[in-house]
Amino acid sequence: MDVSQYLEIFIEETKENLQGLSDQFMILEKEPENSDTINEIFRAAHTLKGMAGTMGYKRMQRLTHATEDVFSEIRSGNMKVTADLVDILFRSLDALEAYLDNIINSQDEGQEDNEDIIKLLNDALNGETNGDEEAKAPAAEADSAGINESGNEAQSGDSNDEKRKYRSFTYAEFEEKAIKEAKEQNKNVFAATVWVQESCLLKAARAFLVFKEMEGIGEVIKSSPSVQDIEDEKFDLDFSVVLITEADEEAVKKAILSVFEIEKVYIEQLNPDEMFKPVDTAGKEEKVEKKETHAADNEKPAAKAAKAAEPKKAPANTSNSKPVINRSVRVDIEKLDELMNQVSELIIAKNGLVAVSESDSNTNTQNFTEQIEYLERITTSLHESVMKVRMVPIESVVNRFPRMIRDLSKKLGKKMELYMSGEDTELDRTVIDEIGDPLMHLLRNSADHGLESSEERIAKGKPENGSIFLNAYQDGNNVVIEVRDDGAGIDIEKVRNKAIERGTITEEQAETMEDKDIIDLLFMPSFSTAEKITDVSGRGVGLDVVKSKIEGLGGDIEVRTKKDEGSTFTIRLPLTLAIIQALMIELGDEKFAIPLNSIQTIEDVAVSDVKYVRTKEVIHLRGTVIPLVRLYDILDCPPRDYESENLTVVIVTKGDKQAGLVVDNLIGQQEIVIKPLGKYINIEKMISGATILGDGEVALILDANALV
Amino acid sequence: MADNNAVINGSKQYIVVKINNEQYGIDIGYVDNIVRMQRVTRVPKAQEYFEGVINLRGEVIPVMSMRKKFELEADEITGKTRIIIIKTEAQALVGLQVDEVKEVVTLDEEDIEKTTYDKNREERNEYLVGIGKHADELISLLNINAVIADDV
Repeated sequence: MDVSQYLEIFIEETKENLQGLSDQFMILEKEPENSDTINEIFRAAHTLKGMAGTMGYKRMQRLTHATEDVFSEIRSGNMKVTADLVDILFRSLDALEAYLDNIINSQDEGQEDNEDIIKLLNDALNGETNGDEEAKAPAAEADSAGINESGNEAQSGDSNDEKRKYRSFTYAEFEEKAIKEAKEQNKNVFAATVWVQESCLLKAARAFLVFKEMEGIGEVIKSSPSVQDIEDEKFDLDFSVVLITEADEEAVKKAILSVFEIEKVYIEQLNPDEMFKPVDTAGKEEKVEKKETHAADNEKPAAKAAKAAEPKKAPANTSNSKPVINRSVRVDIEKLDELMNQVSELIIAKNGLVAVSESDSNTNTQNFTEQIEYLERITTSLHESVMKVRMVPIESVVNRFPRMIRDLSKKLGKKMELYMSGEDTELDRTVIDEIGDPLMHLLRNSADHGLESSEERIAKGKPENGSIFLNAYQDGNNVVIEVRDDGAGIDIEKVRNKAIERGTITEEQAETMEDKDIIDLLFMPSFSTAEKITDVSGRGVGLDVVKSKIEGLGGDIEVRTKKDEGSTFTIRLPLTLAIIQALMIELGDEKFAIPLNSIQTIEDVAVSDVKYVRTKEVIHLRGTVIPLVRLYDILDCPPRDYESENLTVVIVTKGDKQAGLVVDNLIGQQEIVIKPLGKYINIEKMISGATILGDGEVALILDANALV
Repeated sequence: MADNNAVINGSKQYIVVKINNEQYGIDIGYVDNIVRMQRVTRVPKAQEYFEGVINLRGEVIPVMSMRKKFELEADEITGKTRIIIIKTEAQALVGLQVDEVKEVVTLDEEDIEKTTYDKNREERNEYLVGIGKHADELISLLNINAVIADDV
């Protein structure tokens, strides 16, 4: 069965389910008795198992199955949730995520069996329950190494004769011959009855998969009902087969049970010498015994055989290959409908234009303008709609953080809690993909450096539990994400001394630098004040990377800190990247665009009002002193000979800093599409891209943040 | 798209361009397009030899002046000036501004002489893969990757 077309859906849903599990585990850790959570986990695990099974990811299926078993016990009250168990559960979750990563990268789940985790889960199961779970969870047993093997065999041996339908087989002469030949070649011959779950809807399909599995390891020489009948679904809940194979019983059983919705399989080694005795009344007890010893003998080879069989399917090392999955966005159908509507309006507008161009030339101009306005309205709303489609809630990035903080808390031995708000704030997909790492880094920073140890906190009279806050909200055309902690704050003196020690600044510079500028030093490459390097953070690669990444996204980052009260990192990101509103300006005969969201006001300033502070030009505007930036000089424009008496100054802001950009002419506001400048050409930070104007000319976009 | 070593094996086609009074050959495999001179937008603070960027069917493409690159006298834009759009192995586009595009020639292996180290012209040698002989003319074959990727 080709399932590759479902792969994307599988990955999306698995991600969701894993995230759900992670969230629920977190809750479970705090409220071990919460039955809603337990039910939720059971359901999620069950769904995951089903999906993994359908897609043929068996290792993943086994692991989720083990998890599901544990929760089925917890749900029925036979087991209690312990801290150890939660740790194991988190480990299994990590393993599942690893499988998913492999699948995303190579379509294959990889080779890791995670036997240790499965064993831990099963041990937890066996330790808590009184051994009757075997009957409920046949597959789990087949999976777990021989611990509960004997119990299983005994049970299935005595009580289910009527279900072992293969015992009523009669063999034709050629079948008998085939079995005997197989024996002579030292192959194993198994008879098996497979029971499909009652709830199974596609019995024939399941049966087909069972056959396919069996044919993968051997040859099916007989089946009842016939293969044709099975394919036509002319069977009740069971079918029986005779299989000749080199694999042993465990492997066969495993193969069959790997198919989803198979209730149980009864399997037995056939011995032609006994079978084809004139009178076929060989004692069943004896046979069972024989089988048991056989099974025991085969245990170790079984494991080996299973391992040996795997590499065949294994693809080559895929670490360097590209992910096979396209990145996708799930879109609300309403948003799509809206898009569709606007596109149809666009067509109407086009038709309107065609009509105008064909009509009488006298009335032309006015109608033409009307149509253009109409068109403009539509393209604007079309743009908005497309942008909305690209928007993804930030939730998909931040929802893994509670788990991370939990792990960090354990690792660092500090008590801490993460509080998040605004998870539904939406950002452009391209930003979402990139913002995860910087945020993770900031959180780790807060956890490691920001928060003090519990003892220190108590000594300072703070609550023992440290708090980290992650808040996201929209602010005009920007999205702001704050990472705040209530820790010790940044020790400015320490940063100052470190900077001098490292030669980043001289002592004289250090004297005159403001605290704010000192803090900015933290964003310099290879600067970490952590006295001891931990593996959580503090190798000196970090804040500078965070900063450059955020700037790469067109955003910026700021820090505020107060001793013993904590620090706040504020990230400001543009809502979208591709299309922005900009003010077009002119310098000489060159045109530039300044993004509208960074512009505060536009002022006309007389040259005589320009003052000098420390030989730098400033203007005094409504009580604030704003430094002037002569774009003309900064952008190396060709020299000119005139100087006007009035300056047109565009006031731009970055955080709480301002600057006045002196321009020659204002052209007006325009919606511009941002284009990259291409490779090979080195561009300064102050140019964030280019755009193509209506007349086909290229204009550069100035990054006001770099100019402030 | 051939790699530079392969250029000198077997026969290949080259676009012959004029820069100053010398003829240069560009492996046709790299050439995406040849466009007439058009308005170039200056990019402040870029490398000296970049003239700026142009709009090629909605894409913004950087254009470098071969004269500036080879440290010759400044460009004089004439009706013959062309921009050769190069598609590099990294699938990025970049334009080379040349004085004139002359013809397309096919050079066999035996027509090409590998360049040897030349003390006096050290600078420009690294941009060449060989000298092609066509009729009575000599054509310097450009090592496109070196010309473009070079960051000096």
